[in-house]
Amino acid sequence: MATVGARHSPEDRSDALARARLRAALVPDLLIEARRIVTTVIAGWHGRRKRGIGETFWQFRPYVAGETLAKIDWRRSARDDHTYVRDMEWEAAHTVWLWADPSESMLFKSRAATVSKESRALVLTLALAELLSRSGERIGYPGLLKPVAARNGAERLAMALASSHALTLPDKPQLDMVKRYSDVVLVSDFLDPPEETLADLDAIAKRGARMHLLEVADPAEEVFPYAGRTEFEDPETGVRLTAGRAEHWGEAYQTIYHARREALRDYCRRLDWSFAVNRTDRLASEALVSLHGRLTGQPAARQTTARGAA
Amino acid sequence: MLGLPLSFAAPAILFGLAALPVIWWLLRLTPPKPRTEIFPPLRLLAQVMKHEETPARSPWWLTLLRLLMATLVILALARPVLNPVADIATGDGPLALLVDNGWSTGRDWDARMAQAAQLVEKAHEAGRTVALAFTVAPDNAQVALAKPTDLLPVLAAATPIAAKPDRVAAVNRLAAALADAPPASLAWLSDGLAASERDETLSAINALDLSEVLLFDAGIDDLRAIRGVDNTPTGFNVRVQGPDGLSTGADPVPVSAFDEKGRLLAETAALFEDGSAEATARFEVPFELRNDFATIRIAGQQQAGGVWLVDENSRRRRVGLLTGQAGDLDQPLLSPLYYIQRALQPFADLVEGKTGDLSVDVPALLEQGPAMIVMADIGVLPEAASQALAEWVEDGGTLVRFAGPRLAATAGDDPLLPVEMRLGERTLGGSLSWTEPQPVAAFPGNGPFGGLEAPREVTVNRQVLAEPGLDLAARTWANLADGTPLVTGAARGDGTLVLFHVTAEATWSNLPISGSFVEMLRRIANLSRNTGAIQPGNSGVEAEALAPYRILGADGELTTPPSHVRPLDAAASATPASYTHPAGLYGTADGFVARNVLVADDTLSPLGTPAFQAASTVFAYDSGEESDLRGPLFLIALALLALDTLAVLWINGRLRLFGKGRVGMRETGHVAAALALAVVAVALTVAMPALAQESDERPGDAEIVELLETTRLAYVKSGNPDTDDVSAAGLWGLTRYLESRTALEPAEPVGLDLETDELTFYPLIYFPIDITAPMPSEAAISRLDAFMQGGGTVLFDTRDQLTASFAGAASSPENERLRDILRGLNIPPLEPVPPDHVLTKAFYILDRFPGRYDGSPLWVEASATQETVEDRPVRSGDGVTPIMITGNDLAAAWALDESGRPVFPTMSSDPLQRIYAFRAGVNIMMYMLTGNYKADQVHVPALLERLGQ
Repeated sequence: MATVGARHSPEDRSDALARARLRAALVPDLLIEARRIVTTVIAGWHGRRKRGIGETFWQFRPYVAGETLAKIDWRRSARDDHTYVRDMEWEAAHTVWLWADPSESMLFKSRAATVSKESRALVLTLALAELLSRSGERIGYPGLLKPVAARNGAERLAMALASSHALTLPDKPQLDMVKRYSDVVLVSDFLDPPEETLADLDAIAKRGARMHLLEVADPAEEVFPYAGRTEFEDPETGVRLTAGRAEHWGEAYQTIYHARREALRDYCRRLDWSFAVNRTDRLASEALVSLHGRLTGQPAARQTTARGAA
Repeated sequence: MLGLPLSFAAPAILFGLAALPVIWWLLRLTPPKPRTEIFPPLRLLAQVMKHEETPARSPWWLTLLRLLMATLVILALARPVLNPVADIATGDGPLALLVDNGWSTGRDWDARMAQAAQLVEKAHEAGRTVALAFTVAPDNAQVALAKPTDLLPVLAAATPIAAKPDRVAAVNRLAAALADAPPASLAWLSDGLAASERDETLSAINALDLSEVLLFDAGIDDLRAIRGVDNTPTGFNVRVQGPDGLSTGADPVPVSAFDEKGRLLAETAALFEDGSAEATARFEVPFELRNDFATIRIAGQQQAGGVWLVDENSRRRRVGLLTGQAGDLDQPLLSPLYYIQRALQPFADLVEGKTGDLSVDVPALLEQGPAMIVMADIGVLPEAASQALAEWVEDGGTLVRFAGPRLAATAGDDPLLPVEMRLGERTLGGSLSWTEPQPVAAFPGNGPFGGLEAPREVTVNRQVLAEPGLDLAARTWANLADGTPLVTGAARGDGTLVLFHVTAEATWSNLPISGSFVEMLRRIANLSRNTGAIQPGNSGVEAEALAPYRILGADGELTTPPSHVRPLDAAASATPASYTHPAGLYGTADGFVARNVLVADDTLSPLGTPAFQAASTVFAYDSGEESDLRGPLFLIALALLALDTLAVLWINGRLRLFGKGRVGMRETGHVAAALALAVVAVALTVAMPALAQESDERPGDAEIVELLETTRLAYVKSGNPDTDDVSAAGLWGLTRYLESRTALEPAEPVGLDLETDELTFYPLIYFPIDITAPMPSEAAISRLDAFMQGGGTVLFDTRDQLTASFAGAASSPENERLRDILRGLNIPPLEPVPPDHVLTKAFYILDRFPGRYDGSPLWVEASATQETVEDRPVRSGDGVTPIMITGNDLAAAWALDESGRPVFPTMSSDPLQRIYAFRAGVNIMMYMLTGNYKADQVHVPALLERLGQ
């Protein structure tokens, strides 16, 4: 009888990109709500609903002495006795750091799942990259890609991930370059004991960045369909553990598994971060839409997240 | 072994059981292999599973299961045998088999024969010769030493016979067979009975040169037999015999009585008194019922001794006939006994007085113990005869008297009359009387004639009259219409007196010539009972030999007599039942003598253990055959193996009937499949002879179906590719033409190899004669002939019209070849297609059949009727010609290339010739497929005209 789960070869990056595009096409242009003003203003396409440097008309206002004459809108000023200045809406690009867990455990895929966790994580990351770069955001990948605003951000990211340098990336994200007001999307299975994960997250939280955690889970990990005499092997460490009657441990395992997830979720909720779960037997679009909602601050996506976590 | 009838053929292998502890140790150390699963959240799992002790050993019950399996395999390898045959391989001389096949062996004959067959087979294995003697055998039976395998059919054919065994004769036969042989082993398959000649048998056996004696004795404790019946006036007694030394408190023996057709009439039981081996079962039923008893059976005794055949019921009573005048005997047709004889003959032995002198005849008759004596008009009996008759009646005889002038004259003081008589007779309807002849009134229901239909046509002219008395009515068995008695009867002692108030001949009345007379006499005979034992031969009348009618099988059932049974004559009936005269019914269906196995003084004494001189052993008959236990043991081990597989599956968690979640459901499917596989495997093992349903499909069926689906034109492949191409193209062209012009849409033409291809699928085979091709073989021509005889048609095309026209038809090489071919065929007389032939009208109206050439006639079978009616437009011609011959090279004219253009030019400049060639082809095909149907179509105008259209 075949085993429940197996280790899968790493996903081909270009293939993952194609699938990511497909997923991204299902999601509307991503507009991140920039609630925080970043001091280092770089022109972008986000209307900040304030006057500033930009290309879109925002308002006419009376000329204040001292301003450059070049700003005066003569056509409007000719209508009456005042002199008006054309204000543009301030547009600013946002920096979003994306990170997919490259660890060995992500290669797991059970029979009930459609893809491996690694594949799903990559697809989600690239889809986000596609969405964000389409809407002019700057996307970066810690250790691999500096924040860049480009139409072809997803391709760049895919190229970077396909490079040999990507193989040397550590299992934990190197978030030294993350500045305040940046958004960080971490796609991982978060299977480390929650205290370790939370310690890492604390370090990031001190930087003031806003985190979005997306847990990719395999149904076998969540349901625990094992029974009988089973020897479990950790794909990362190779540690083996033999259970005489595996089904006896299902309940306890599920308890601790969900407790870990709840700990993460509570942590995120406290910091107003987002936390979502995507099971590999569900559609990737669900997670994408959920994350999209989180990035745009639309609470409607809560339901999807809740279902994904169930 | 352990009290079980169990032995091992290879006991050395049992030492393998010593290895069981090792196996146990190994099994304990080898746990079932776990399933390895990759599990990323192992660290989480490790937190909850920290205190889990992983079982490193198999569960004890699994070990036990496997040990049991190993034990079973070891035991099976040791070839255990249940019910091993008695070991007779000790001697090396011949084996003498003495088999009792007498009356008591029918109940367990199969076991005896299985035992005998086993002994013979053992002897075969030991290479010993066998002499086989049955104790019930023909007197001239021969016994000789034979190969054991030759005796098995003899054993299979042997049957027990309802007769008493003659062991001395059988032992003597064995002695003759073993005369020159080394000391033999005697196996005596006895019936357990010590017959009367036990000592003689023993001494005869001891006289043999024996090395050992194996006595098989099943005991006779449950043997019950009937050794006699006694039909007393008040009841029917059955004497049941048990074995000597019957223990006290033996169960009552249920005894049942059946009539001739096997219907149960009565049941009773015989109770053995303490210490007595004999018991009596008494049927207390009315005598009419008793007289119907044909078979008395002891329930549960499937042997001949438990059955008693009764013959003295309604048939074969001895009836004495007496008449007063010797002169009556000289004129048989006028004898007063004539009608009585005719009436009684079917069911009674008739004994007549010989001398006419009553003082001699009566004692002579009485000596033979008749059941009934009929006296016709005897007035005065001699005193001694009268006395003897009276005593005989007192003892149970039935005396039937008929009136007559003499009786009427002397009736007053005759003691042997049921009622007091008046002197003289009464005349009814005479010339001096005013009374009418009297008919017979209905018989009283309570009398012996009750239920009989009174004869309406019988009238009585004269009768003797009884004195009126108080008991006259009670004694009257039949009345005349005016109330005077016709038949009276009375009991006298154990016997009966009956008087017919008319004569035995048809002078006083026409009663003796009516059917009722026979019935009445039969009723009276039913009442009577024989007063002495009858056996054939003691009648003194003649030495009659009774053919066997039904023979009692040793299983207690009546069967048709086997061929070895001889008619029973006087000499044979005096001896006990034997091979040639076993127990059964002898005679005919209307009357027979029963012959039973036991006689009145027979007892059933057990054989015990005779004092043999040779070493002797007593065995019981084995309850079952020797059976090899290997198969069952291996089967059980296999079942355990399946169980073990299931257990391992269960331990590994793959046997969950309700999995958790979707992943588990998939597992369940696999488990169900595995379970089904196991069940199927077990079922296959158990039901080995299950037969697979064979498909009746044969290779080549698909091709045949394809060929049959549509009509096809066919040609014979000559072997010359050029000719074959022309033929193929020609038939293809004709096919296209047929498709476009007619409703016939043939499929692709087929080239045939006469040697191999099946020809029957094609209505017409085109056979181009090619002299460059080899001559077809004999087999091919005979196949072609069979095709033509079976209704097919061959179109021979010599394609030589052009050359033949120059050189003359006879010398054309194609013609020569055609003649060679036709020499092997059954060819009917031929003629060129006459102008009124159906071929000229089958589709197109044609007067010639051109091909590439024109001018060669088309030869067909000559029509049977040469005289043609003038006004008939076409010949009727039943049947289709089996052969057509042309020289016009039809295929070349039909041949079309891929684009539909003709391949060959016609030899004539006439552009219509090709059209006509196609039309000829169409006509030929239509003629092939429709036969002479078109010949009838020509009548359509006449029919329409007649219909007034």
